[in-house]
Amino acid sequence: MHGKTVRRRRIVLVLLVVLSIILLTAYFGESSNGGLHSVQRGFMTVVSPIQDGANAVLKPVRSAAGWFGEMLKAKDERNKLRHELAQLRKSVVAERSGRKTAHEESDIGNVDHHVQLAGYRPVNAVVVLESASLWYQTIDVNKGSSEGIAVNDPVINGEGLVGKVTAATSETAQVSLITDSKFWVAARIAGDRSAGMLQPKVGNPSDLLLQYLPSNTQASEGELVETSGTVESPYESLFPPGIPIGTITSIESESNYQVNVRPAVELHGLDNVQVLTIAPGSRLSNLSSGLASLPLSRGGEQGAPPGTGFAAVEGK
Amino acid sequence: MRPSGAQGALGARIAALSVVVVFVQIGILSEVTIFGVNIELAPLLAAFVGLLCGSMSGAVAGFAIGLLVDLALVQTMGITSLLLTLVGFWAGRLHEMRDPQGALVPIVVGAGAAGVAFVGYALIEFLLGVDAPVSLQLLRDIVLGIVVDTIVALPFFLIVRRALQGSMPEDPRRRRRSRRTYSTGGLSPISRS
Repeated sequence: MHGKTVRRRRIVLVLLVVLSIILLTAYFGESSNGGLHSVQRGFMTVVSPIQDGANAVLKPVRSAAGWFGEMLKAKDERNKLRHELAQLRKSVVAERSGRKTAHEESDIGNVDHHVQLAGYRPVNAVVVLESASLWYQTIDVNKGSSEGIAVNDPVINGEGLVGKVTAATSETAQVSLITDSKFWVAARIAGDRSAGMLQPKVGNPSDLLLQYLPSNTQASEGELVETSGTVESPYESLFPPGIPIGTITSIESESNYQVNVRPAVELHGLDNVQVLTIAPGSRLSNLSSGLASLPLSRGGEQGAPPGTGFAAVEGK
Repeated sequence: MRPSGAQGALGARIAALSVVVVFVQIGILSEVTIFGVNIELAPLLAAFVGLLCGSMSGAVAGFAIGLLVDLALVQTMGITSLLLTLVGFWAGRLHEMRDPQGALVPIVVGAGAAGVAFVGYALIEFLLGVDAPVSLQLLRDIVLGIVVDTIVALPFFLIVRRALQGSMPEDPRRRRRSRRTYSTGGLSPISRS
């Protein structure tokens, strides 16, 4: 009897572990249209009405909890904001002084006339769920594909870039924040116009890293960093240019020139966001659907960092 | 062997508790930070189910809770299931082999469960390949996460025990009471007759 119990216990453990590993392997290797991703989207569809309801019911509780938390750090936040205001003033002055003429910009080829904000249709959405994990920084919003939202659509709010859509069902969508470990975006320093790739530092939501900058970059602390909206074919970005991302906090130039950036958006406790949906049939739409069909493997394997909004990154 | 009805009742309670805990976790606790980190109840729940109900129940509950978390948060499926299966099984084996009774047991088990979950998750993410550079602050967050889970472990254990009471294989309170009777010199059934 005892031997039978022990055997059964071992079999159950081995079965569960093997099942987990199979799930992990299958999920990791499949594209975002694969079976397990579809199951997740199906689950999102089923629970989204519950999430909406729970969000409405629990909002006072969350607000109360958030209020206590906010009170504790209010003074610190005030000082931080004063400091940030001073830095932003400096960056505005720097940007004005460094602004090139339209003629010069067209010569350099940095301005694109094909991708404009007019090519996007903003959809306002309410945050219904905020995930809390060191590795996954995501929010769920109450609008989905029925409103035209699709995977890879940029998400912003009044302060700047929030993230991008990583999953969408008819009534809800999941947004990976700019601090999510899988987020990349093409960005530039507003004054200097030097462009690079921006990604978060895992474990530190107040620190983003703008890498692969040219060695002659002239950056200073407090300068604004924004999306570059690159349209040249190998580095094409789904994000429109000029969306503020954050301000430079420090510069590292020992080996590779890179700068640390503090996000402009307070990503904790988001309420309202705007999803920049892309018109179906447009060039950007084709790019977006091409990206969505890529397997979600890690950077470099498929030519593009996962979830970047980039068509391809050569030589990485 | 327990009757299948009792097992079914226990399973139903664990399932209901898991759903409630996961929704509380992502609906409320994700908004609350202590020392800059969030409370993670999922590893604690898997461990306490194991501690109260045994290794098989712990492993199965851990797998189901992990799957629910991965589905609800659209994370890589299988990672949380794998870790929580091991956590639930480990806590269950602790219960079956040593049957610890001290008041500090839930705290120690909670800390261990949180440690395995946080460190294990980080290791698996590293094995799968992390795109982003990893900040040293991640270590701080892992340590603080374990501390915060350790703090909430005891009250959460009492809630889990209360929720499962009546369906558990052995009622800890009843068992403790009967042991106390013998240790204080109470008559055994043989001497009474």
